[in-house]
Amino acid sequence: MFRASPALLLAAIPLYAAPDFEREVAPILEASCLSCHDAANAKGDVRLDTQAAVLEHLKPGLPDASLLIEQVSGPEPDMPKKEKPLTPAQVETLRQWVQSGAVWSEGRVLADKPARDLDWWSLREIRKPKPEARNGNPVDSFIEAKLAEKGLKPVPEADPATLIRRLSYDLTGLPPSAHNFEFRASSFDFDSLVDRLLSSPAFGEKWAQHWLDLVRYAETHGYDKDKPRMNAWPYRDYVIRSLNDDKPYDRFVQEQIAGDALFPGQPDGVLGLGFLAAGPWDYIGHSEVGEGKVDGRIAKHLDRDEMVSAVFNIFTSTTVQCAQCHHHKFDPVTMTDYYRLHAVLAAVDRADRVFTGLPPEKEKERNTLLARINALKAEQTKLTTDAKRELGARTSGIERRLAELKQKHGSPLRPQYGWHSHISKIQAAEKWVQVDLGKAQGVEQVRLIPAYDDYNSIGAGFGFPLRYKVEAGNDPGFNTGVRLIHDATAADQPNPRNSEIVLDVGRDAVRYLRVTATRLAPRKNDYIFALGEMQAIGGENHDNMAQGAAVTALDSIEAAPRWGRANLTDGIYHREVGDPAALVEMRELEVQKAAIEKELADPRRDARLDEIEKHLADLNPKLATYPKGELVYAASTDFTAQGRFIATAGKPREIRLLNRGDIRAPGGLMQPGLPPLWPGAPEQFNLPTEAPESAARAELAKAITARDNPLFWRSIVNRLWLWTFGQGLVTSANDFGRMGQPPTHPELLDHLAATLRDDPQHSLKNLVRLLVTSRAYRRASTHHEANAALDASNACLWRANRRRLSAEEYRDSLLAVSGVLRMEDRGGPSFQDFVIEKPQHSPHYQYHLHDPRDPSAHRRSIYRFIVRSQPQPFLTSLDCADPSQSVPQRDESTTALQALTQWNNRLVEAMSDTFGQRLGQEKDPVNAAFTRALSRPPTAEERTVLTAHLQAHGPAALARVLYNLNAFVYLD
Amino acid sequence: MNRRQFLTSLTGLALTDLLLRDAALGAPGTLRGGLHHPPKAKRVIQLFMAGAASHVDMWDHKPLLTQKDGQPWDPGEKVELFQSTPGACFGSPWAFKPHGQSGKMLSEIVAPLGGVVDDIAFVHNVVGKTGVHSQGTLLQTTGFQLPGFPSAGSWVSYALGSESDNLPSFVVLPDHRGLASNGAKNWASAFLPAQHQGTAIRPGSAEPVADLLPPQSEFITPGSDRAGLDVLAKLNTAHAQARPGDDRLLARVRSYELAAAMQLSATDALDVSKEPRHIQDLYGLASEGPGVDDTTINVKAETEFFGRKCLVARRLLERGVRFVQIWSGNDNGFPRRNWDSHEDVKRDHEPLSLGMAHGTAALIKDLKQRGMLEDTIILWTTEFGRMPCSQGSKGRDHNPFVFTNWLCGGGILGGTYGESDEWGFRPQDTANATTAHDIHATLLHQLGINHERLTVRHNSIDRRLTDVHGHVLKAMLV
Repeated sequence: MFRASPALLLAAIPLYAAPDFEREVAPILEASCLSCHDAANAKGDVRLDTQAAVLEHLKPGLPDASLLIEQVSGPEPDMPKKEKPLTPAQVETLRQWVQSGAVWSEGRVLADKPARDLDWWSLREIRKPKPEARNGNPVDSFIEAKLAEKGLKPVPEADPATLIRRLSYDLTGLPPSAHNFEFRASSFDFDSLVDRLLSSPAFGEKWAQHWLDLVRYAETHGYDKDKPRMNAWPYRDYVIRSLNDDKPYDRFVQEQIAGDALFPGQPDGVLGLGFLAAGPWDYIGHSEVGEGKVDGRIAKHLDRDEMVSAVFNIFTSTTVQCAQCHHHKFDPVTMTDYYRLHAVLAAVDRADRVFTGLPPEKEKERNTLLARINALKAEQTKLTTDAKRELGARTSGIERRLAELKQKHGSPLRPQYGWHSHISKIQAAEKWVQVDLGKAQGVEQVRLIPAYDDYNSIGAGFGFPLRYKVEAGNDPGFNTGVRLIHDATAADQPNPRNSEIVLDVGRDAVRYLRVTATRLAPRKNDYIFALGEMQAIGGENHDNMAQGAAVTALDSIEAAPRWGRANLTDGIYHREVGDPAALVEMRELEVQKAAIEKELADPRRDARLDEIEKHLADLNPKLATYPKGELVYAASTDFTAQGRFIATAGKPREIRLLNRGDIRAPGGLMQPGLPPLWPGAPEQFNLPTEAPESAARAELAKAITARDNPLFWRSIVNRLWLWTFGQGLVTSANDFGRMGQPPTHPELLDHLAATLRDDPQHSLKNLVRLLVTSRAYRRASTHHEANAALDASNACLWRANRRRLSAEEYRDSLLAVSGVLRMEDRGGPSFQDFVIEKPQHSPHYQYHLHDPRDPSAHRRSIYRFIVRSQPQPFLTSLDCADPSQSVPQRDESTTALQALTQWNNRLVEAMSDTFGQRLGQEKDPVNAAFTRALSRPPTAEERTVLTAHLQAHGPAALARVLYNLNAFVYLD
Repeated sequence: MNRRQFLTSLTGLALTDLLLRDAALGAPGTLRGGLHHPPKAKRVIQLFMAGAASHVDMWDHKPLLTQKDGQPWDPGEKVELFQSTPGACFGSPWAFKPHGQSGKMLSEIVAPLGGVVDDIAFVHNVVGKTGVHSQGTLLQTTGFQLPGFPSAGSWVSYALGSESDNLPSFVVLPDHRGLASNGAKNWASAFLPAQHQGTAIRPGSAEPVADLLPPQSEFITPGSDRAGLDVLAKLNTAHAQARPGDDRLLARVRSYELAAAMQLSATDALDVSKEPRHIQDLYGLASEGPGVDDTTINVKAETEFFGRKCLVARRLLERGVRFVQIWSGNDNGFPRRNWDSHEDVKRDHEPLSLGMAHGTAALIKDLKQRGMLEDTIILWTTEFGRMPCSQGSKGRDHNPFVFTNWLCGGGILGGTYGESDEWGFRPQDTANATTAHDIHATLLHQLGINHERLTVRHNSIDRRLTDVHGHVLKAMLV
C-alpha cells in the first residue's frame, strides 16, 4: 500500500522559488527561534525543532494562514521575544518557504545555533590610527582633536607641587616625602621624575595592587571555614617583580595560563599559575564532599567556572560565563565555546605546587609516586565509605539505643584510664603486662577489663589486642612452671568493648598473672596494647587480690593521670553503664551489632584494605625522601590528597556540555577549544590524544596572547589608561561586549593597543610613560563652567580627574608620613594585622585584637594577609577590593561609617600619636606637618586655624586633623 | 577618657553643634519612591539559623518517623548525604502539640511561638541546590550559590534607600561567638555601591559598632575631639569651596556631621536599658546581661543572646533601619554553637531553638502591640534542613532536598503553604516546590518591588536578587 510521508504530499503543491531548507531556512530558525522553542525549553508549549512540531504552527502553501509567519511579520512582530526581529528578507524567505510547501529535510532536528556576529568594535582588527599631529605625544593629538571637535577648552597644566604629588601616588602609591630622593617643585624635570618613579621598586608594589584586585587575589579560601593559604604570597611577589622588571605583557599572561608548559624549568612559569588559583575555593565541597557526589561535582563545576571566567574577563574583557546556561544573549559566545574552555582547565585544581628547589626530573618521579599514593587513598576512602554505608543503614538504630543507655546509666569518665604499652610499628610485636600478688595465693578468676578512651572515637575496648594469652605462675620471668590460663593466639578475637573478660583459674596458688599480646590493636598507622584494669578474684570473700598490686610490663607509657602501670590495679576503670539491666540490654545490642557486622563482613574488601595499607606504608616514606622545594598556591595537577580532594595527575576530567548549566543534565562530550572571536582563534585545539593536559592550556595561552587577538591588546591598554587617568576609555573594563560601554576615544584606544602590540618588548612601562608624559595627564583638576556644561563627566579629559586615595594608599600614607613605614621590608610572607583565634577548625580573624603600634605590621599594604570571609574593616570601609570577584576599578563611596573610621580608628589614633611626637620636636610643627603630608606649605587660613588647634590640644591632635583633611585624602 | 565620659560629653554638645547643621541626609533608594506597585511592608527582619535547623524537630511534624523510630529508613530511592550514609528512621526527640486557632503542630522546642503561630506563614516545601553550608547560606542570603553577589538586605537598601538620616539602612547582628559560613560575604553589597553593605553591630559587646567612638587614647579628650571636628569642618569646607564642581568634597564634609549624629542615634538604639522591665522580660533578657554563663550550652544564655538581638532589632527598625539580619549560630566549630547537629540534635537544638523561639515570639508580639507588624516582614530561614534518618546515633545530616522557611507580618497571611512528604525528606509535590528565589520575590513584592525589574548591570548581565527565577507566593498574601 502507498503511505505518503508529509513531505511527499506537500511536494504536490506547485513550487515557487522554493528556498533551500538547509541553507536558507534552518539557519534563521536556529539563530532566532530555537533558544526558546527547542525540546528543552518549549516556551509557550511551542517547539520548532522538528517537522512534526513546526507543522502545528503553519499551513503549507498558505503563509497568510500560518501562525509562524504572522508572529514574525509586521513592524512590531511578536516574535522573537528575546532575539533581534527578523529582517524583512528573512521574513520573506520564511514566507516563500511556507508558500512553497514548507519542505523539511527528513528526520532533521534543529538546534539552537545563534549567529556568530563578529561585527563589533572590540572584535575588529586593530589598525594603527595615525595621530593628526606629527610631533609630540600621540595621546594629546587624539585627546585634543576630540576636545576641539566638542568645543571644549582644556584647562592649564597643574602646578608643580600638585603634579609631583599626583605622579608620586599614581606611579608608586606613596606621598613624595616617602621617597629617598628629593622633589624640587622649583626646578623639576618632569620626564626624569617619571623615570625615577618608574624604576623605583615602589612602582611594582603600587601597580601589583591594581593587578591583584583584578585577579581576585586573597590568602584564604573563603566559603566555609575560610582556611589560610600559607603559600599564596609568592604569586604576589611574582606580580610585583614582573611589573618592576617590565616583563613583556604577552609573556606575563602566558605564564599565568600555562607557564609550566611554555617555560618549563623556570620558576616564573609555575609562579604565574598562582593566577588561576587566586580566587575563592570551596574547601568543604572539594575535600569533605568530593566529586563522588553530586554536590561535590557542582562545587567543582563552579570552581572551574570561576577560573574560566577569570581568564576571559581579565585577559580579554569578555564575559564568557554568560554562556553557562544558554548561549550568550548578546555576544557571540555559545555554550559549546564556554564548555570547551572547561575542557581546557579540566585537569587543574587549586593547591600548593613546587616552583623551585626540586629538579624537574625529580619532580616527575615524585609526581608519579604521589599519583600512586593518591589513587590508593581514593580506593581506601571508597572501600571504607561503602562499608560504613552498608553497616550504618542497619545499625544506626542499635547505636542510638546504646547511646541512650550510656547517657541514662553511664558514669562520667575518670581520667585514670589504665595501662598502655609503647607504640609499635609492628603488629606482631609481643608485649606483656603482669601483676604481682605479693605471694602465691589461690586465685579463682582473672578478670580483664578493657580500657576506655575516646581518642579517635574508639571508646570501649581501646587498645585491646587482637590475639593474646593469659598465663599464671610463680616465676616472675615466666620461664618455668608457666600455666596457660587462656589462649587466644590462634585467631583474631572480636573486641570485647565494654565487656569484662572473665577467666577461670581454678584456685591454684599463683603469685604472678601475665597477659601477653601476640597481635596488637591497630591504630591509624601503628599498634598498641592497653588494658583498663586487671583483677584476680579469690580468697574467702572473693575479693580482688590484685587491688593495688605491683605491675610490671615489657614497656609502658607513663603519662599520668591517664596511663601508667599503677592504673592497671587502682580499682578505677570505666563502666559505661552501672545499671545491671541496662548492661544486659547493652550486651544484647552489641551481640546483634556484631552479628550484623559479621554478616556484612567482606573478606575480599578487608584483604584489599590490608593490601592498600601495606602499599601506603611502603610508599609514604619514599615520598618523604624528595626535597620539599619552595611552594606556591597555584593551578596544579599533582598534590597530596586532602580528604576527598584528589589530584588528577594530569588526567583531564570528562567535560560535558551542561544543559541549563545543570550538572544533572549533561550533554555532549567537550574537547578543548575557545570562542573563535578573532581571526585565527582555534575553535577546537585538536591536540593529539597523548598530549599532556598542559598542552591545552598552552594552546589557550598562545591563542589569547596572539598578535591577532584584538581583545587582548585593547583590554590591557584600557586598563593602563584607567589606572593612570582614573577612568577607562572603555568604562566597562571587564566587558567589551554588547552590554558593555563603547570607547570614548576608539582611535586612541587602537593607537595605544597597536603601540603595545608592535613594541617588540610589549613593555607596560613604556606605555605608562607615554600616558603620564602627556599634556592630558598633566592638566590641573580645576573646574570650568563652560566645559562642565558640555561634558560634566570629563569623558573628553578637558581636566585631570581629582581622585581619593585608595584604601591602601591611605594606610601606607599614614605609616609613611608618621615615619614608621618599613619601605625596605619587601616581599615574603604577608604581615597579619589580626589575631587568629580557633585556628584548628574555622579560624576567627580578629582585627580588633591586633595592636596598631606593632611594627611587624608597618609594611606596605600590598604585603597584607588578605582574608576573604572577614575583610579588614578599616580598609573595607575605604572601599578596598572584595577578593571574591574580579575588581577592575575601585568604588569611591562617601559614607558616615567612613568618616567614623578615619576619625576614630585605632590605627589613625596610633599614627597621629606617632606623628605628633615627631612634630613636637619641630620648630614649626604646622609647616613641617604640611610638607611631610601634603608636600606643600599651609595656606594662611590653614596655618592660623591649625596653629590654634596645636596650641590648645597638642601635636597629636593636630596630626589627627591632618589625616582627616580633604587635602590629605584627595589628589588634585 | 573612657567611653562613658565621652558619651556624656557628646550628648552635651552635639545637638547644638553638630546635629543641627544638616538633617536630611537619608539617601533615597534607586527607585526614589517610584515603587513598582503599592507596598504592604516597609522593612524586613531576616532571622538566619546558621548551620541548618531541623524542620522535622521544630514545626514540620512527622508522626511516621516516631512510628518507625529505629527501623531502617527506605524512602524508595538511593540517598546521597553530605557527610554520612543514611541511618535508621529517627523520630523527633521532642513531643509535638497543637497550638493556636489553626491547631498547628509545634514541637516543645518552639512552643514559645505557640501564642503567635496563627500569624506565621510556614512554607514546608523549600528546596535548596546543594548540601554544602557555604553555598546553601549564600543562596538564602544572596540568591546565588557562589560569592560575589549582593545580599537581599543590600538589594532592599539599594532599592528603597534609608528611612533614617543617621543610621545605616542595612544592619546585621551577627552571632557574637563568630561568623557563619562565608563570614561577611553574607551581607556584602558586592557590585552594588558600598553604602548598601550590611553594617555589623554587636549589641552587648565592648565596641558594638566599629569606630563609632574614639579609642582609648593619651591625647583624645572630649575637648580635643570636638575642637578637631570643628577645625576639620572649617578647613574641609574651605577646601571644597575652593574646588567648585566636585560634589564629593562637600559630601565628605557632611559625612562627618552624619557620623556625629550616628554616634548618638546608634548609641541610643542599642541601649536596651531604656526599655521598661516588662519588655526586657518579654524578650527574656538575663539579669546578668550579655555576660550570662554559657560555658556549656544552655537555654538561659541562648535566650539572652537571641532575645537581646531581637529587642535591638526592634529599636533599630523603629528608628528607620530598613533591613535587619539576625544570626543565630556561628561557624562550624566545637563545641557546637550552631544548628549543625551532626552528632546530637537534642544537645544543640534544644537550647538554640528555645532561645530563638522565645526571642522571636517576643518580637512578633511586641511589633504587633506597636502596630509595626503590619508593615514589617519577618523572614525565618536557614541554609537547609536536616534528614529524617539518623547520622551516627543521635545526629542528623543535611537535608537540602526539603526544609522550612516562614514569613510573618507585612501583609502575609498565617497558615501552612507547601508540605513536605511523609518523611520530611522531599516536597510532597516535587513539581511545585518553593525556592529561595520565590521567598525573595515575595519579600520584594511586599515591599512594592517587582523582582524582575530591580536590576543592575554587572559583567554584561542585568543581575537580580532572584537570578532568572522566582515566583511571588501569592497564596499567602493578604
